Amino acid sequence: MTVALLAALVAQAVAPPPYAIESVRVRFTHYDQRGRGYQSAAGPAGTAGSEQLTVEQPQAEVVARVGERITERVWIPMDVVTAASPDHSRYNRPITDDPPDAVSTASRRNVAGTFDALTTYHLDRDTDVAFRTAFHMEEPFESWAFGIGVTRSMAEENTVFDANVYQVLDWFDRFKIDGMREARSNRSTSNLNLTLTQVLSPTTVGAISYGGTLQSGTLGNTWSSVLLADGSRGAERLPRERWRHALAARLAQWLPWQGALKVSYRIYVDDWSALANTGEVTVVQRLFAGLRLRASYRAHHQTAVRFFTKAADPDATGYRTGDSDLARFVAQTVGGGLTWDLSRAGVVTDLHFDLGYEHYFRTNDLTVDIATCGFGLLF
Amino acid sequence: MSRIRPYGRGLWRAVGLALLAAALGAVVLGGSGACVVVPQNRRKHLADPMMRFEEDALDAHRRQKFYTTREAAAGGDGMPAGGGCGCQ
Repeated sequence: MTVALLAALVAQAVAPPPYAIESVRVRFTHYDQRGRGYQSAAGPAGTAGSEQLTVEQPQAEVVARVGERITERVWIPMDVVTAASPDHSRYNRPITDDPPDAVSTASRRNVAGTFDALTTYHLDRDTDVAFRTAFHMEEPFESWAFGIGVTRSMAEENTVFDANVYQVLDWFDRFKIDGMREARSNRSTSNLNLTLTQVLSPTTVGAISYGGTLQSGTLGNTWSSVLLADGSRGAERLPRERWRHALAARLAQWLPWQGALKVSYRIYVDDWSALANTGEVTVVQRLFAGLRLRASYRAHHQTAVRFFTKAADPDATGYRTGDSDLARFVAQTVGGGLTWDLSRAGVVTDLHFDLGYEHYFRTNDLTVDIATCGFGLLF
Repeated sequence: MSRIRPYGRGLWRAVGLALLAAALGAVVLGGSGACVVVPQNRRKHLADPMMRFEEDALDAHRRQKFYTTREAAAGGDGMPAGGGCGCQ
């Protein structure tokens, strides 16, 4: 009798708190990229090489309430990338419509997956504390991220302040530009984010965010090459440290004809001397019930990092890169989409569907077409 | 080679710290109650899903990752500017 009572007490003590699934969401995105960049050797000698690749990106997310004070979010994004590292196997050969071969067999079709868990503890009515950890796996790359954040509401929830810090640790193989594996390498990324969201009127809300990031270690992918003045190619050489700062402002305005206008602006600087300005405008219009139409435009301008070159001196020993992503360019994105939220009475309170398309193009010869669709169940 | 320090690095750090100071100033201003207070019963438009800065977390992620891996600039969106998958 006593043993049975003790067993019942222990079972009660270790029983998990009740939980309830709040939402399940899935999304699939397809990217089709075309263009040329000086970091790629997949093309004739002395010219920029092919950057053609495709990415298939499925994602899944489950959010559950655990007990009275905890919300758990589990999120699993994946990427299937063709030609993740186009390089010397196509050197001095004509550019074709096929994705270029890769520097290593792992990159001909690279499958990458992440397990990301975010636990939010509701400390009181106005304060949340969040803990995040994530593991990323792909061949030949592993990554671990962890962080903590605090969100505090003030002035009857008119003001919300959010602060969080993240640390990301990466381990990966180092390659020579001809595909030979050299050794293991690593990279550290430390990040601080501050965000203030403020209600400005019954129809307007604004936010200002700062993000500061310090990266150290091997900051390139190690297989990008640099076109040299004599027509040959050499290895990219990057500093082992990078300080990055971004300040962003966002505004959302309710429109009286059942619409919303959202604008944002970001200024970015880093100590590799890149300076960037990014602006975006989005208009959302409710057509009827839960059906919404969305149109967006984004413009981005950046200067090149100070050691970017299209024809490096073969005898120089300083930093150098031919990476087109670090060059001076203007990028634009035009896009649109449809969102449909179908409210229901029952176990599932909302069914969510959305379809979207974006076209990204920039002045240094890179174009990406993006198609995405999402489905969600809210309980 | 690895000991060569990029020219002008201090200037860019100073500009970055100025951005941080601007953000902290906004935080102090907001936290001091200097801004308007709209009562909850007048915030129904703000509660509409259309008014969220990011309507869908998964869509926001794929956009953040796309731009982080294709442009020199990143950050300001609550996530690290680099690190992890994407080789940057």
